Amino acid sequence: MNDQELRDEIEKMSNKLIAIEQPLRNRYFLSCESQNAHDVCRFLFEDVRARFVIATAIDSDDCYEILYHFAYDELGTIIHIKAHIRDRENPSIESIAPFLPGAEWIEREIHDVMGIVFVNHPRLERLILADDWPDGVYPLRKEAKR
Amino acid sequence: MSWKLWSLKKSPWVFHVNTGACNNCDIEVVNCLTPKFDVERFGIKLVGTPRHADALLVTGVVTRQAAPRLIRAYQQTPKPCVVFAIGACACNLGIFRKGYHVVGPVDKILREVDPNAIIAYVPGCPPKPEAMISGVIKALGAI
Ligand code: SF4
Repeated sequence: MNDQELRDEIEKMSNKLIAIEQPLRNRYFLSCESQNAHDVCRFLFEDVRARFVIATAIDSDDCYEILYHFAYDELGTIIHIKAHIRDRENPSIESIAPFLPGAEWIEREIHDVMGIVFVNHPRLERLILADDWPDGVYPLRKEAKR
Repeated sequence: MSWKLWSLKKSPWVFHVNTGACNNCDIEVVNCLTPKFDVERFGIKLVGTPRHADALLVTGVVTRQAAPRLIRAYQQTPKPCVVFAIGACACNLGIFRKGYHVVGPVDKILREVDPNAIIAYVPGCPPKPEAMISGVIKALGAI
């Protein structure tokens, strides 16, 4: 696949995306709403055959963002999917771990420190917080006390 | 000098405790044992359990999860024993100072259970193997 073909593949998903940004030849930012993130990741992983690198979470001004980072190694291209979770009271998003086991631990970690619930995750238990850490306290949220 | 102290100084066996280090200090501790520095020529030997140890090499800040385990390892070490706080984190929290998971530097945690604990500090991020060797020698000279 060359650069143009990759762009065409990505544009097939445009009905599920809010925006496609390509600041550099080998870098894409795809914004989407949280309910579409699962389908977009699945498409990138199974049809485009990009490699999952890692996911990160941000406590943004008006929403939580989960960023899934994929790499398309043949072209050295990095594709970031920004999923916006608008519900700040009960943040949740569909888990990608059922088809992508490599995402299992990072989703558990995000659940620990940010309190985002990953629906359909096979084992959403505590991973990195101390055993005696109180439930319902999420240390990396903005409102967390220092 | 009591025979206990003499044998401690003659050949201190050490046990390595990582209480939340970034792993760089641990690499330097292992480096001390490689042929280049070879601390075994001074009788310093890494052992597998605190019950065989004369000294604890503690690296890293003490995290909430590790604090009770550090205390347990310290209580199981035969006394007299020397605790080496290796690295800026173990001495005084270093770059993890404001972390949510940090409960304190090594000396604060150990002094809570034993106010007379013998603690030696080797600062640096990470300390060089030479610094650790010189720290061990200075501490043994002081007791
Ligand atoms: S002192 Fe530096 S090298 Fe050692 S554990 Fe702390 S951050 Fe890592």
